[in-house]
Amino acid sequence: MTRVFVFTNHKGGVGKSTSATNIALGMVQLLRRANAANPRVLIIDTDSQGHASLVTTGRKDYGADDSLYTVLMADRTNAPQTLLNCIIQSQWDTDLHILPASPMLEGAERELMGVAGAPYRLADPVSKIANQYAAIIIDTRPSFSLLTEMALLAATDAIVPVEPRYLETVGLTSVIEKINDIREGWRHPTLRVSGLLVTKMDSRIRGHNHLLAEVKAHPVLGKLLLGVIPANEAVSYAHSSHQSLFTYNPVASASKAYMQVVASLVRYLAKGGD
Amino acid sequence: MARLNHDTQRMDDLLASVTSDLLNDLPQNLNGNAIHVERILLEMVRPDPVQPRRVLPESIHLRFHQNQITPTQAMRELVQIVQIAARHRGRPFNNLLELLPNADDERDDEPAVNLTPEEVFLRDLVNLAITIRDDGQVNPLTVVDVSQGVTRLFRIETGERRYWATWLLRDFIPNYTGDGMIPCIIIPANRSSVFRQAKENTARSGLTAVALARQAALLLLTVHSYEIPAYAVENDFYRQALELDLRGKREYTDVVLSAMGGMGKMQFSQYKALLKLSDEALELADRYSIEEYRLRPVLAVPAEYHTEIMRQIIDFNLSAKQVKELCDSGNADQDDDDVRKDISPSAMKIAKVAQSTQVTSAQELARAIMLQEGDSAVAKARLQALRKLITEAERYLGAE
Ligand SMILES: Nc1ncnc2c1ncn2[C@@H]1O[C@H](COP(=O)(O)OP(=O)(O)O)[C@@H](O)[C@H]1O
Ligand SMILES: [Mg+2]
Repeated sequence: MTRVFVFTNHKGGVGKSTSATNIALGMVQLLRRANAANPRVLIIDTDSQGHASLVTTGRKDYGADDSLYTVLMADRTNAPQTLLNCIIQSQWDTDLHILPASPMLEGAERELMGVAGAPYRLADPVSKIANQYAAIIIDTRPSFSLLTEMALLAATDAIVPVEPRYLETVGLTSVIEKINDIREGWRHPTLRVSGLLVTKMDSRIRGHNHLLAEVKAHPVLGKLLLGVIPANEAVSYAHSSHQSLFTYNPVASASKAYMQVVASLVRYLAKGGD
Repeated sequence: MARLNHDTQRMDDLLASVTSDLLNDLPQNLNGNAIHVERILLEMVRPDPVQPRRVLPESIHLRFHQNQITPTQAMRELVQIVQIAARHRGRPFNNLLELLPNADDERDDEPAVNLTPEEVFLRDLVNLAITIRDDGQVNPLTVVDVSQGVTRLFRIETGERRYWATWLLRDFIPNYTGDGMIPCIIIPANRSSVFRQAKENTARSGLTAVALARQAALLLLTVHSYEIPAYAVENDFYRQALELDLRGKREYTDVVLSAMGGMGKMQFSQYKALLKLSDEALELADRYSIEEYRLRPVLAVPAEYHTEIMRQIIDFNLSAKQVKELCDSGNADQDDDDVRKDISPSAMKIAKVAQSTQVTSAQELARAIMLQEGDSAVAKARLQALRKLITEAERYLGAE
């Protein structure tokens, strides 16, 4: 079964989009390098701000006919075909495909609020095309909203990017609670939290080191720790030039850290998600 | 450029730093280069436009493959065609399920009704759809992965009928609870070939003579290095094979003949020759599954008569011998100038007209004769005279 990873955290600026896009590209390249028959990875951008769409395709002005919005508005039988029609190729790699977001998604939440079955409008069509991809990665917006609920319901695995600074303010327990909220609150007991990704780690800051040590020692979080991405200027430069971090600077510390994460996720895929 | 190469190198190094264990043993589920079964969204599956075995009526086939109609529309049109044909024959239906034979109705003393091929086809399709619905599953199709870029596409090698039955089930038959997906055995693109498909085709029974002719053509065109297109083609594409043969292609002869089900060279060229039939004749022969030996004599007659002869073969279920006689007499008439001389041109004209009663209607004829005579009384008189003439002519036929 194809794993669908959702990058989620209700806080903005923690590196969700950065992680989702770069990890997706890393997976494509690593799978291809390993001669996988199907190295294709699909990114689904559910954030109306469209950062992931912008960096991977150079545009974010998708609309009523060519975006996730189109899929959510399609009738049930046509939704999978609509989804296929709206998928485009990333400028980063021919095997990296995007279902782009649209500013119109703002309105979609209002339009669909209270419509029966609305939370499954992404999950249903995604489940029918999932086997075309080695993995699917969903980027979410920084809030708990109908769109985030849809994203979680479509996913098999949640990855929670956190900044040390954030951990500092809300505390580790809050993160665990959030994870449980996702599982129980969204009536999606099979969703598994398969990773905590610490981003923007600055080892020069004492507090960061201290927190990381605490996470590692924690009986639950320690096992969930998927990787640690250092704070690295290359990330924001790559971002602003709409390039992937790997192409922008493959030897940057963040590139190496992300590639480690990619490798463990690909190993996880290879084991069939165990 | 230099910088780019440099980066590519560095990217390789980065990938290499984490791949050592992955490269060693890429697990089964990522290494999909083998033939495997998967459930695929119906919309991602397409019939093969050059499959010699035609499933849909030609007009629907062509428009569907030219993307002028969707699969759902194709099925709707098929249903409409059959509805019209069935109404003409006095057995109209509104609901597809009415097509299924009802066990209670079956009475031995009633003559078997003569269904048109379209009625039979649709009835079988509905039957298949109901089986799929009630069993909750369908035997996997064989498909070839022909995906390109973001377009995910699987071309059917075998199982086109199951594909259409599933569409019919999804969109036209009540109580479908499936998810719009269909199980498929996926053949990697590099393993598919015209030969493979031909073998699959001939391994199943029921390939019509015309389908065999198309298949022979595809194989010949392939061994002569013609490009086999991925879109619907007209008969003229297959007819290119009329100028080709297996001579000079020794190395392929065996594999071609075995793909055709192990027939001989002679038979092979007899099937291929059927492509000389006119388009309409080909379609009729295909739909009514007319055998090669009954079609062979028709090839001796000019193409403009093919349709008419084909209709007679179908309507009167002519034997090969009868077809031959029909075709020979046609030729004799044309050759024999002596006989022709003492027949007036008017008689020849009326005789000719007798061949075209199928292509017009009574209503149309009435309109035509009114147009010609301008008066309904005169028109009536003309028709009566014609009827009288025909009735008497019939008497002479016995005497000749
Ligand atoms: N490891 C990092 N080092 C430096 N800057 C980073 C890092 N990760 C993300 N950023 C920057 O932080 C900002 C927010 O990141 P983003 O991925 O858009 O977060 P989110 O999607 O969670 O809102 C972006 O400008 C991005 O370039
Ligand atoms: Mg974001």
